[in-house]
Amino acid sequence: MADLIELVEVSASYGRIEALSGVSLKVSEGKVVALLGANGAGKSTTLNVISGIVPATKGDIRFRGKSIRRLGSDKIVGAGISQVPEGREVFRDMSVHENLLIGAQLRNDRAGIERDIEIMAGHFPVLSKRFKQMAGTMSGGEQQMLLIARALMARPKLLMLDEPSLGLSPLLVQQIFDIIVKLHREEKLTLLIVEQNAAVALAVSDYAYILENGEIAVEGRSADLAHDDSVRNAYLGT
Amino acid sequence: MIMNPITNRQVLDLPIRESGAKNRNRIISGGALVVALAVLTVVLPFVTSGYVIYIANLLLVFTVLSLGMHIVIGEAGQFSLSHAAFYGLGIYTAGLLNNAFGLPLILNIIAGGLVAGLCGLAIGFLSLRMRDIYLALSTFAFGEAMQWIFLNWTPVTGGPNGLNFQPAHLFGFTFLSDKAAYPVVLILALVFVAATFVIHFSTLGRSFRAVRESEIAAAAVGIDVKRVKIFAFALSAFYAGAAGGLFTTFSTFIHPESLGFHTTILVLTMVVVGGIGSVSGAIGGAIVFGLISELLRQVPSYQEVIYGGILILFMMYLPRGIFSLIGRR
Repeated sequence: MADLIELVEVSASYGRIEALSGVSLKVSEGKVVALLGANGAGKSTTLNVISGIVPATKGDIRFRGKSIRRLGSDKIVGAGISQVPEGREVFRDMSVHENLLIGAQLRNDRAGIERDIEIMAGHFPVLSKRFKQMAGTMSGGEQQMLLIARALMARPKLLMLDEPSLGLSPLLVQQIFDIIVKLHREEKLTLLIVEQNAAVALAVSDYAYILENGEIAVEGRSADLAHDDSVRNAYLGT
Repeated sequence: MIMNPITNRQVLDLPIRESGAKNRNRIISGGALVVALAVLTVVLPFVTSGYVIYIANLLLVFTVLSLGMHIVIGEAGQFSLSHAAFYGLGIYTAGLLNNAFGLPLILNIIAGGLVAGLCGLAIGFLSLRMRDIYLALSTFAFGEAMQWIFLNWTPVTGGPNGLNFQPAHLFGFTFLSDKAAYPVVLILALVFVAATFVIHFSTLGRSFRAVRESEIAAAAVGIDVKRVKIFAFALSAFYAGAAGGLFTTFSTFIHPESLGFHTTILVLTMVVVGGIGSVSGAIGGAIVFGLISELLRQVPSYQEVIYGGILILFMMYLPRGIFSLIGRR
C-alpha cells in the first residue's frame, strides 16, 4: 500500500538541544500507526515537525511522495494533514461552534462546512448540545472531543493525535478511542497517534514505533510488540 | 457598591472572554448604546456650541484610535505601545499632503493610514521575534523615537513650534469650522466602527483571536500565525493613521507634545476600561475616557494620577471592562 507520509532521517532541535536525531518512519494509507515512548522522547516534536510548527534541521518529510519539509503550517493543513495538539489546546474563549468553524478556516465551501458540522454533531453527540457554550468551560473529555472534531473540520487525509488520553479517566479514554477507531473505519482516515498509554495505543494500531531520546528504538507490528516481552517490560510496565 | 461574590469570581476567572451567545447579547446591548449615541450625535450640532462639537469630533477620532488598538491588543493579543506614533504619522502625512498639494480630504486620510500602516507592518515583523514585555518595550521605544523625530525634524514637521495646516476640503467644500467638519468625521468614524464589527465576526477576526489564545493551536488549524500577527499590527496602525487624517478635518494645528506616550496610554486605558476583546467596549471606552480626559484638562496636574487610579481599579475589579456589566446574562 502507498505511503501517505514518510519521514526520512529527520532531525530537529530546540536551540542547542537536539530533540530528534535521524528519525525515519512511514504511515501507509488507511493504516493506524502509534508513536510511543517516555516523556521527552521526541513524540510531540515528531508531530510538530510534520505540522511545520517546529522546523526540521535535517532529513526530509514526504506527503504522498512530495516533500513538505519547507511548507508553512497553513500549507500543510491545506495539503491534508491535521494535528490534534496536546494539552487541551481548544480556543477557550470561543464557542464550540466557532472552534469548529475555525477548524475549517482554509475551506471556502460554506455548504460543505455546514454539512461537516452536522456530521461532527453526529460523531460527538456531547458537542451538539453545547454549540453555543464557551469551549474553555467544558470538561477535559469534552474538550478532547472538540479538538478531534476541530481537526476533522479541515477534512484531513492524515489525522495526527497527540496524547488523546492525557489526563482522562479510563472510561473517557475508552470513549475517545472508540470514536477514533470508528472514524478510522467509517471515514477511511489514516491515523498517527502519539501515546504514553502504550497498551491502548498498541491495541488500536497496526504498526508502532517506540522513540527513545529522539531516535527510533523499536518498531514493528503492534500485535507483535504487544506480546514482545522486552517491549512489555520496558514500555508497558507489566 | 458591593460585588456579588459569584459575579466577582466569574470576572476574575475569565479576564478575557469573548463571543458566543452571552457575548452576542453584550454586543447587542453595546450596539443599542452605540445607536443611542449615534442619535445624540446627529442632533448635537443643532443644540450645542462649537466647543462641544470640537469635543465630539475629538471623541470620534479617539474612537477610531481605540478601535485600532483593540485590533492589535484585543483581537490579536499583541502588545503595542506605539499607537501615538502611528496617529502622529497620519496627522503629519495628511496635513503635509494637504499643504503641498491641496488634495481632497479622503485621499489625505487614506495616505495617512497607509504611511502609518506601512510602519505598522515593519513593527509587525518585529513582533515575530519577541513577545510580551519585550515587545511592549520595543514598541514603546519606537513611539518615543517617532516623537523625537516629530520634535526635531523642524523643516518638515515644524519641530517644537508645531505645524499649521490648511483647512481640509472635500467635493469642493472647505471645512472652516468644527460644525462643518462634524458630519464627515461622524460618517468616517462610523465606517471604521462598522468595519471593526465585520472583522470581528469574520474568518479574519477568528484568526486574530485564535492567535491570541494559542499560537500552537492556531498553527494546528492551518492559520499562518506570522502573517496574521503582522497584519494585525499593520491594520491597527492603519486605523491610527486614518484617525490622524480624520483629526486634520477639524484641526489645523498639531504639536508633537500631544503625540507622546501619554496619548498611547490614554488609548490603552480606553480599550482596557471598555473591556479588552470587546468591540463595543473599545467604542464605549473611547467615549467615556475621552470625556474624562477632556474634563481633567481643567486640572492637568491630577490628570495622570486619575488615569492611573482608574486603570488600577479596573484591573482589580473589572478586568473585562465596563461593558462586561451589560448583558452579562
